[in-house]
Amino acid sequence: MKKFWRVLLFVALIGMLTLTLTAQVLPKVPRGDLLIVDALHGRLAKTDFNIWKPATQAGNGIQQALMDTLWYVDPTSGEWINALAAEPPIYNEDATVMTVKLRQGIYWSDGVEFTADDVVFTVKVQIENPGFNYSGPFSTYVKDVYAKDKYTVVFELKKPYPRFHNFFNVLIYGACYIMPKHIFEKVEDPLKFDFNPPVSLGPYVLKDYDKAGYWWFFERREDWQRTSVGMVYGRPKPKYLLFIYYGPEEKKVLAQAQHQLDCIFDLTPEAWDVLRKRNKYSMVWYEDFPWAWMDDVAARGLCFNLTKFPYNIKQVRWALTLAIDIKDVIISGFNGIERLAPLHEAPTTAFMKYFDKPLKEWLEDFTIQVGDEQFKPFDPTIPEQIAEWAKDQGYNVTMAPEDIWGIGWWKYAPDVAEKLLKEVGFTKKDGKWYLPNGEPWKITLVGLPAEIDSARLAFAVADQWRKFGIETSVETVEAGVFWTRWSLGDFDVGSYWPASASGIADIWPLYQGWHKRYVVPTGQAASSNQIRWTNNIASDIIDKMATLKPDDPRLMELSRDLFKVFVEEMPYICTVINKKFNAYDQYVWTNFPSAKNPYMSTAWWWGTFKFLLPFLNFYCTPFHTTRSRSDDYKQSSVLWCTVSRR
Amino acid sequence: MTINRVASYGAQYLDAETLEHLKQTLTDLYGLKGSVFEQYVKFWSRLLHGDFGPSLAMFPTPVMEVISTSIPWTLGLLVMSVFIAWLIGNFIGGIAGYFSEKRWAKVLSVIAATIYPIPYYFMALILIIVFGYLIPVFPIIGGFSIGMQPSFSFSFIVDLIKHAFLPSLSLIIVGTGWWFLSMKALSSTTKSEDYVQYAEAAGIPQSKILFGYVMKNSMLPQFTNLALSLGGVFNGALVTEYFFAYPGIGQTLYMAVTNGDFNLMMGISVFSIFAIASAALVIDLLYPLIDPRVRYR
Repeated sequence: MKKFWRVLLFVALIGMLTLTLTAQVLPKVPRGDLLIVDALHGRLAKTDFNIWKPATQAGNGIQQALMDTLWYVDPTSGEWINALAAEPPIYNEDATVMTVKLRQGIYWSDGVEFTADDVVFTVKVQIENPGFNYSGPFSTYVKDVYAKDKYTVVFELKKPYPRFHNFFNVLIYGACYIMPKHIFEKVEDPLKFDFNPPVSLGPYVLKDYDKAGYWWFFERREDWQRTSVGMVYGRPKPKYLLFIYYGPEEKKVLAQAQHQLDCIFDLTPEAWDVLRKRNKYSMVWYEDFPWAWMDDVAARGLCFNLTKFPYNIKQVRWALTLAIDIKDVIISGFNGIERLAPLHEAPTTAFMKYFDKPLKEWLEDFTIQVGDEQFKPFDPTIPEQIAEWAKDQGYNVTMAPEDIWGIGWWKYAPDVAEKLLKEVGFTKKDGKWYLPNGEPWKITLVGLPAEIDSARLAFAVADQWRKFGIETSVETVEAGVFWTRWSLGDFDVGSYWPASASGIADIWPLYQGWHKRYVVPTGQAASSNQIRWTNNIASDIIDKMATLKPDDPRLMELSRDLFKVFVEEMPYICTVINKKFNAYDQYVWTNFPSAKNPYMSTAWWWGTFKFLLPFLNFYCTPFHTTRSRSDDYKQSSVLWCTVSRR
Repeated sequence: MTINRVASYGAQYLDAETLEHLKQTLTDLYGLKGSVFEQYVKFWSRLLHGDFGPSLAMFPTPVMEVISTSIPWTLGLLVMSVFIAWLIGNFIGGIAGYFSEKRWAKVLSVIAATIYPIPYYFMALILIIVFGYLIPVFPIIGGFSIGMQPSFSFSFIVDLIKHAFLPSLSLIIVGTGWWFLSMKALSSTTKSEDYVQYAEAAGIPQSKILFGYVMKNSMLPQFTNLALSLGGVFNGALVTEYFFAYPGIGQTLYMAVTNGDFNLMMGISVFSIFAIASAALVIDLLYPLIDPRVRYR
């Protein structure tokens, strides 16, 4: 009998070992050739790669590996990258003609040369076939587009537009990518064409994909030298890219702990805490506290529908601002991991340099009228206070507090807030606030649980306002409802992220939407200015900015003036940047951008990601070449993906 | 609150003018032009032709294509899991109900009563951590390995089973608990019926009483439940598929709900209604074969 159990145990062990070796879903390629990236959009069951159609998602590897356009600007470094273009755009004096010189020697993956004809075709086909992503703007602006020679494109515009090039410039996420003329010109209806298999202009080709929508597998082109990435930065290091959706974040954490997912998109702080304890090779941005990447190009704000009472009153908005103890919000709501955003922009490294730091002195001197007195609401000491708290908690603070937590925020001054509210007819009885008509003041704060920090901000601020005496509740809704309400103005106060940033100092592309011309009545869908802010001074500044070329030095002054108007009017309360725990595993690949080496943004869901790939370093050797096991030796559970760490 | 996919498109990083143009285009493409009544009439005319329109979240893939890609996975996973859980649960439950006074029957009842209320997601997580991380013997994502081509080859079938094993196990464990408890209760009741008492007094062998008298009669409501469970397959095991990233219809429905993809939600709902109604009809037609009392004479 004993013998039987022994045999059974042996068989079970062998079975388990066999299963272990074949347990994973990863492709059968050497792990050291493969970079595994979390697919941002999750599951996308589609067999259509015609990303020029509206509402198509390109962030699951398509725009990073296969697509290319004329220029990119990295939001973190602010570096301008001439990709398919050989140099920046050349405008004539009145910005009605834009000339683009293209790189020579770029080829599509099927061996056809990329030329000016492709760019011309991309524009013309979208004008001639209304319904493409850029059909509208190209019809609005382009009078004519033609190839002056094989490598020069000329755009004649219907009206002066010195920022026309931004349609082909990846400032954030994506832009208009170039179409292969030789493929699309043979198609009867380009809007119905599925572009499958896709021909690539990027450094990879699509090798395989899951029709159920969980993964996309790319292989580096043999002729990667004939792509913009190859020409600008050299060979993309990973031979293969796998964009994969593992499901909920618990599984992503497990996958990275097993070294089967190199890049994860935005974990919750709790998940990150688990991961960093399980995998010493996992990293986000800072080596130590507060770890998170705080350079995303958006900032969170408490947004009011400004057509609704009482949020149409400036004093009310300022009172709500001063009723928030931001230090408490950051510590209790975010465990100290957030960068403060006092201005109505996202304080990225680049924007801190352009706006936050230069405007700090103005903010310190800025006053608001409270009764007969002037009150200085700005508090530059909050970053130091948070740093002190962090040190008390035993965390190492290795950088200047201002570089981590920002330049400061608004004072916690409930007494001043009280005065402001009373000025406009509000009353306080038994610790509760009442509207001027005598009804209790109730606020419902809308938050999005899927974007965890949106919900956390809503709950943390609701606590503050309740403490101040306002009956505040939080309503969390799914993404579809959340964004619909945003667009229709169906909210009193919402935890959205309306502030933005990019790698360039010209904020007009991002801020033109705040013009009063985009205000529509509540209940009607708004494309921009969803808070319905009608401000003549801000609109005038935006109009002035529109007439200037992006490199005009007057733009910087106007941008700062615009932010001053935002601060004075406080149309929404900008709070913190959209921090992200984009965890990457340095077990196989290293030299990801970090706080110590911020050479590029870590946003692997943007088109810019392709330019990061040549900078990665490979720190592993295939299993079969391993001669000895170092102390640091780790064995992956996948035979064909087994690596040893030097 | 009605979700408006076009209105919610403002979340993208595009300049204001481009966004406005895009919204107009999307309104056209999504078939949202005209009054609500006009859209409703259009919807029914499309539906009668079996066209649910495009998926809004996976535009422009047609809803029918998304459903037809997902449904084989759910059918394979759930039909097998439901059958296995049904067979195991009813068999053990029937025996445990007949021998309800025995110590082992009481122990099994306690185990089943402990397992049954465990939420699917909790069971899924436990299995993922144990067999996907601590002892990584099973894959934790997808329906088959990357690089495999669907075929009837031995290696593909083994791969398929390996991927379905954990999600299926989570469903079987929890499902078995439910079938066990319900069958045990039914057979305990049947055991005290007069005809069973009479059979025992007549000295009929115990095995014949158990399988021929008690379990056979106790099974009738279980057949009905089985049919309804199979009909519900179209809803998918939403939580299980979500956790295991299994490419079935449940995960698709979850995605449709969170993204406000009305067309897809509607498509899955319509299929689900047809499936449950058809299952009920089939069981009604088959009932005379199982229960002689309802046969037409």
